[in-house]
Amino acid sequence: MKNILKSISVLLLALTLTTSCSKLDINVNPVNPVTSPTNLRLPAILGNMAYHNYSHARFSSYHSYYMTTRLSNTRIESLLDYNGVTRLGAWRWHYFDVGSNCKGLIETAEREGSFNYMGVGKIMLAYSYLTATDSFGDMPFGEAYSGSFNPVYDSQQKVYEGIAKLLDDGLADLAKATPTDKAMNATSDLIFAGNLTKWAAFAKAVKARMYLHTANFDNGYDRLLTTVNDALTNFDDAIFNYPTGATREWEMNLWGPQVASPEWNFADIRNSLVESMHTDFFMNYLTVNQAGLEYDPRLFKLTTPGANNKYLSAKASEGISTLGLPTGTTMADFANLYNGFWTKNDSPLPFILKEELYFIKAEAAFYKQDLTTAHAAYKLGIQTNLKRLGVSDADITAYMTTSKVVADPTALKISDIMMQKYVALYLQPETWVDMRRYGYSATAYPGIYYPKNALAEWQGRNIQRLPYDRQTEYIYNPKEIARLGADARNWVFTPVWWADQSQLKN
Amino acid sequence: MRLRLIALAFGLLLFSMQLFAQEKTVTGKVTATDDGFPIPGVTVSVKGSAKATQTSIDGLYSISAPANATLLFTFIGMKAEERVVGSTSVINVALSQDAKSLNEVVVTALGIERDKRTLTYSVQTVKGDDLRDANQSNIINGLQGQIAGAQITSAGGSPGLPSEIILRGVSSLTGDNQPLMIVDGIRVSNASSDGTINRLADFNPEDIADISILKGAAAAALYGIDAASGAIIITTKKGKKGAIQINGGFKSFLETVGKTPNQQKLFTTGLGGVYDGSSTSSWGRKFRYDEEIHDNINRFFDTGLINDVNLNVNGGTDNYNYYMSGNYRDGSSIIPNTGSDKLSFLLKGSAKLAKNLELGASANYINNNIKEGIVGGSSGGYANSIYMYPLRFDILNYQQPNGSPIYEYYNKTGSDETVIISPMWNVMKNPRNTSTQRIVVNSNLNYTVNDWINLSYRVGQDFYNQAFANITVEGTPNYMNGRLRETKGNYKYITNIFNSTFDRKLTKDLRATLILGGSSEYYEAKTNAFTGENFIVPGIYSVNNIDRNNLTVTEGYPRRRRYATYGDFKLDYMNMLSIGVTGRNDWTSTLSKANRSFYSPSYSGSFTFSELFENRNNWYGKLRASYAKVGKDAPIYRTNTNLVQFQGVGGGYQNDPTGGNVDLVPETTREKEIGAEFKLFNNRLSIEAAYYDKESSDQIVTARVPLTTGFVIKAFNAGRLRNRGFELSLNGSPIKTKDFNWNMTLNAWKNSSKMLEFPGQITVFPYTFGQPYTAAIAGSMLDMPVLGIIGTDYQKNDDGYTVIDQTGYPVINSQNSQLYIGNREPKFNIGLLNKFNYKDFSLSFLWDFRFGGDVYNATRLGMISRGISEDVGNYRDKMYVFNGVVQQTDGSYIKNTKEVAMDYAFFTNRYTPVGSNFIETVNWARVRYITLGYSVPKKVAEKLRVGRLSVELSAQNPILITNYSGGDPEVNSAGPNAGGGGGSTMGVDFGNIPISRTYSLGLSVGF
Repeated sequence: MKNILKSISVLLLALTLTTSCSKLDINVNPVNPVTSPTNLRLPAILGNMAYHNYSHARFSSYHSYYMTTRLSNTRIESLLDYNGVTRLGAWRWHYFDVGSNCKGLIETAEREGSFNYMGVGKIMLAYSYLTATDSFGDMPFGEAYSGSFNPVYDSQQKVYEGIAKLLDDGLADLAKATPTDKAMNATSDLIFAGNLTKWAAFAKAVKARMYLHTANFDNGYDRLLTTVNDALTNFDDAIFNYPTGATREWEMNLWGPQVASPEWNFADIRNSLVESMHTDFFMNYLTVNQAGLEYDPRLFKLTTPGANNKYLSAKASEGISTLGLPTGTTMADFANLYNGFWTKNDSPLPFILKEELYFIKAEAAFYKQDLTTAHAAYKLGIQTNLKRLGVSDADITAYMTTSKVVADPTALKISDIMMQKYVALYLQPETWVDMRRYGYSATAYPGIYYPKNALAEWQGRNIQRLPYDRQTEYIYNPKEIARLGADARNWVFTPVWWADQSQLKN
Repeated sequence: MRLRLIALAFGLLLFSMQLFAQEKTVTGKVTATDDGFPIPGVTVSVKGSAKATQTSIDGLYSISAPANATLLFTFIGMKAEERVVGSTSVINVALSQDAKSLNEVVVTALGIERDKRTLTYSVQTVKGDDLRDANQSNIINGLQGQIAGAQITSAGGSPGLPSEIILRGVSSLTGDNQPLMIVDGIRVSNASSDGTINRLADFNPEDIADISILKGAAAAALYGIDAASGAIIITTKKGKKGAIQINGGFKSFLETVGKTPNQQKLFTTGLGGVYDGSSTSSWGRKFRYDEEIHDNINRFFDTGLINDVNLNVNGGTDNYNYYMSGNYRDGSSIIPNTGSDKLSFLLKGSAKLAKNLELGASANYINNNIKEGIVGGSSGGYANSIYMYPLRFDILNYQQPNGSPIYEYYNKTGSDETVIISPMWNVMKNPRNTSTQRIVVNSNLNYTVNDWINLSYRVGQDFYNQAFANITVEGTPNYMNGRLRETKGNYKYITNIFNSTFDRKLTKDLRATLILGGSSEYYEAKTNAFTGENFIVPGIYSVNNIDRNNLTVTEGYPRRRRYATYGDFKLDYMNMLSIGVTGRNDWTSTLSKANRSFYSPSYSGSFTFSELFENRNNWYGKLRASYAKVGKDAPIYRTNTNLVQFQGVGGGYQNDPTGGNVDLVPETTREKEIGAEFKLFNNRLSIEAAYYDKESSDQIVTARVPLTTGFVIKAFNAGRLRNRGFELSLNGSPIKTKDFNWNMTLNAWKNSSKMLEFPGQITVFPYTFGQPYTAAIAGSMLDMPVLGIIGTDYQKNDDGYTVIDQTGYPVINSQNSQLYIGNREPKFNIGLLNKFNYKDFSLSFLWDFRFGGDVYNATRLGMISRGISEDVGNYRDKMYVFNGVVQQTDGSYIKNTKEVAMDYAFFTNRYTPVGSNFIETVNWARVRYITLGYSVPKKVAEKLRVGRLSVELSAQNPILITNYSGGDPEVNSAGPNAGGGGGSTMGVDFGNIPISRTYSLGLSVGF
């Protein structure tokens, strides 16, 4: 009896003792870290930026008429109807996958005192913001990452100012980098292997790209020329490389035939090149029939020929269903868009290519009436691209003599520059920026036309931006959405700031 | 230590066989004093010994006892009688009703038994027999219609699909809305991780003595942190005093498919009226006369056969009792390649270690293996592939004789692979398997200090492992080289409870009860998930056979610890006035230090006004009122942010999409309840009514947040919602004669809810896993009933007419795609249970009526999109004048008269994008079960050398009368708590597998 009483008191005591507070401090997940050094945080930012970049291109390559879908009646890409989309990956890829990790990297770098990573973090955040705002327009910048569920949407002009500041700060940080910083090498820096000079040049290239968007209305061609020349001094291509022969979808280019869809990717982000074909607009420009070249030699590099070695094309938005193919042809007669230079599972994904800088320089010089400089840069741009794609020297020489390449600097038209840039930046979202700057005009893009199957409701307007994330922005921030007018059905046809201001739209 | 205690308890049993000398046989009949009818089931025991028997259905007993012994006659609700045996061999006894024992004893929070008469809040009890009459293996399903205020919906008619129970409406937007589950005093898991069966289904209904349902916060207030959603207190059977009893039962079930959606049998595959052999849409041309049309739904579903064997042994004396049972259930299902296989054992006993000290212990082992042919996602959609498979193909034609797949269509152009294969391939080749082994141990030490102080300590652990596997074999489209998905986990709940009870009459009329106690609870789960693609060698489905680069392995390790101290003080004045106050303080590990401690009080009182009357023994009337405020903690690991590995090139770490929130505070529910209870007509009719008003604030919502915060998902305190409702339970015996008894129970209830507040500017909250199509989704909207359907509708003019455009077709309201188009909560529910006894026959059946409430028929939406719905057969290409108005140039509207064709373009562009076309207000009348039993007369039974023999014929869900156009309208697409992403997806029909109609035959014997 006594023993029992004793044991009860022991039990009670034990119960009281176990009620100590430390035993309640178990709300930290023990199987995942809370912090990690900077060198372990950079790869995710770069890899996610590649996805982010792709997520814009996934849709913009249709809006910039590289291709069209064969399912003409039902797809967003043909109807230009974004109202059925619940969620676009791009918004998340910027704010979360790239942005929040850049923020984390910058904070960690501050703690570590690693100016190299701090600078790269800011430059990548700036590049991600630029990629995002060029598709979305106004977006939270000042109040982003503040914890607010309904941050103010800053005007795109403000966002541009913020990006410029991030780039300047990033460049300043890079200048402060010392050998005592956490080591940055090919393991952590998959783009430049820790070469900060190249990172600085990349930052300037991002600036040049940004200045180009506004130069036509803010009298910025001089500033642009200085910046692009500065960038070109040390510039090396900023390209994200995927490993060859990867078997995990995480390590594949999303443009590839695997149609990679790492587990968290949204369905609407999977590429549908399998049911897409080139537009006649694109194919006409690549059709040469001179100097022994039937086609632009890059065509064979950008795509895989169709089954019968044909390169058919389709009218934008009209596609072609398997039921109504031209007599004697099948889907197989269209070029296979997979396994081209940019569309293999292990294709590189470009952030900014050198030829883009040449074309930026050409465009700026063109508007400064410096046709000699413009022409030289234009030719360099074309040659750089031909070489990159592995076109043979003989074909390069031949192509450079065709009428597709203007020989006389005084005969150079803006469309010559823009169409060559169009081909060189195949599938890149930056092309959509160019087209919107030029208001989809035939002056810059001869032969361009409005897709027939776009809903009549849009009254002949082209897509000017991507919609915000319906599952969050429209739910948490309805007042800002209403202020912008983003709740309207035709919101995506409202030009973003630099397109609205553009003086080039005719 | 615990195991040793159990061993000790059962060791004692071995010494229990005592012998009696010089005995003689006493027989007799026990009747009731008021009506003279025999009373079956009266315990007749020999005082001071283990010897006992029970009266038969005719009130007869027979027992051997020494002449100097005293026989004790006891029966619940009757005054006990004693008779000295002496020289007589026949002792007839008449028992009279015990006025005191009108005092039904009910089990309340923490297993405390209380007199229902003076209870200050509502507790409803379901007897084990009523549960068993339902013949449901999942206890939750067995409660359907038996509890006023419980909304029970199963996620479908496959044995591995979970069921959801919600008491008094949802109180938490994204948290767990299901009541706390307690078995014999300890918390057990009812989780349904990986979308598998809710784990309460592991327990054997045969072992259950009764179930107490604590619906309101006041009743459950002593459970504090988990009380907001109520509690279900399950008490298992214990050994009956007397000689060893052996009972066995065998049941066999035949399952047939319930109500399924209808298909059109007119058009073959294609799009827009044009035949296309490569399409799985049925929008092609009409079938030619020479084409075979396969009735695939009927060809697909099977008849299931289930066998269930039960055995239990029990007995006891004044000093100990024991109960042991075993159950084996094995069966197939209406779905091919689907079935379950379950084995369970329960050992339970208690022994008096000393005069004042009692030890109880139990161990429950369960092995539950379920294989399911139809595999769904976290949003449901289970049977869509069956309902949408083109009738041009035979669904049973899926494999070659050598086991390789038959592709009905195969085309590969470049890397473009189009494959059509029967869904049967997945069903037969790629089932999901869930196997669970579970051990629930429980021991209880009870020390009676004196006649008014009692101390008890209970420790228990619910441990189970669950292995979930879904293998996709080679040759399956999209995974031509196979895929593996496995999750293995160990789950553990440990509960410690110490209670001290002080129960004393302060004066002759004033009784005070005080309970002081403390508890601790620990939960942890250790899980590993493996996913990988491409088996290296065909036919070996193991992680060992997947290239390491294609394999993803993750570990989860959630833990939670909670402590509580509580007190319960109750004063009773003359059985007439009662006042109760409870308080509980919780400490939880899931909130930050500053917020982890919180207090939950409750106040309640009752007034038994019948005590004021002279004839108070003939009736009973009570009014009661209560108020409670209870807190709820946050999900595990939501207070800080972790890093997770980056899976892409270069590896390293990146932010977890789920961000932490250190500022989380407890969610609070406040509930007011008033109620009345009556027993009338000599207690033959009892009535219980309750009205409650429950408001939950500071909701802890785990949801998508604006990405501009830098996170994808975050937990935050947000919003307020309200549930108000009315519950009525009637129980009566309209007829009670010697041979014939009729007992009737009616449960009626209504709950209406309202979303009162959202954080910031939110007006609509979509449920992550309740979004089958964008036309309509499950979600909540500000100022509207909580379980809403949000979606699109047609444009309406100011008078409410549908606007038709110049082409003659209705116009979609494109300005607002987030309209509140449906409320999924039923307007009114009735469960009506009738039980008849005629001599040796018994018949019981339960009607379940539902009035109102909307169902989102996303199954039909999908089937129309694919052109295979019956409506497409009926209406496609028919001419029709839409009911609506056309706007004129001057702005006025005139009635539409234009006749147009309901063609493919109409269905695709103007019909399926409109959510309101798929909202149906549903009523039903259904019989949940009919059970007919027959007890073989004792004489016959004895000839067969058994003590008791009965047979039973039963049917489950035999009758369903409903206005619903689809399959069975009892739907819940994402399962409990909407798959964790919202309040509930009840009322969302997305490829629902109908609940089966089942017929069973049972045989039970006792020795």
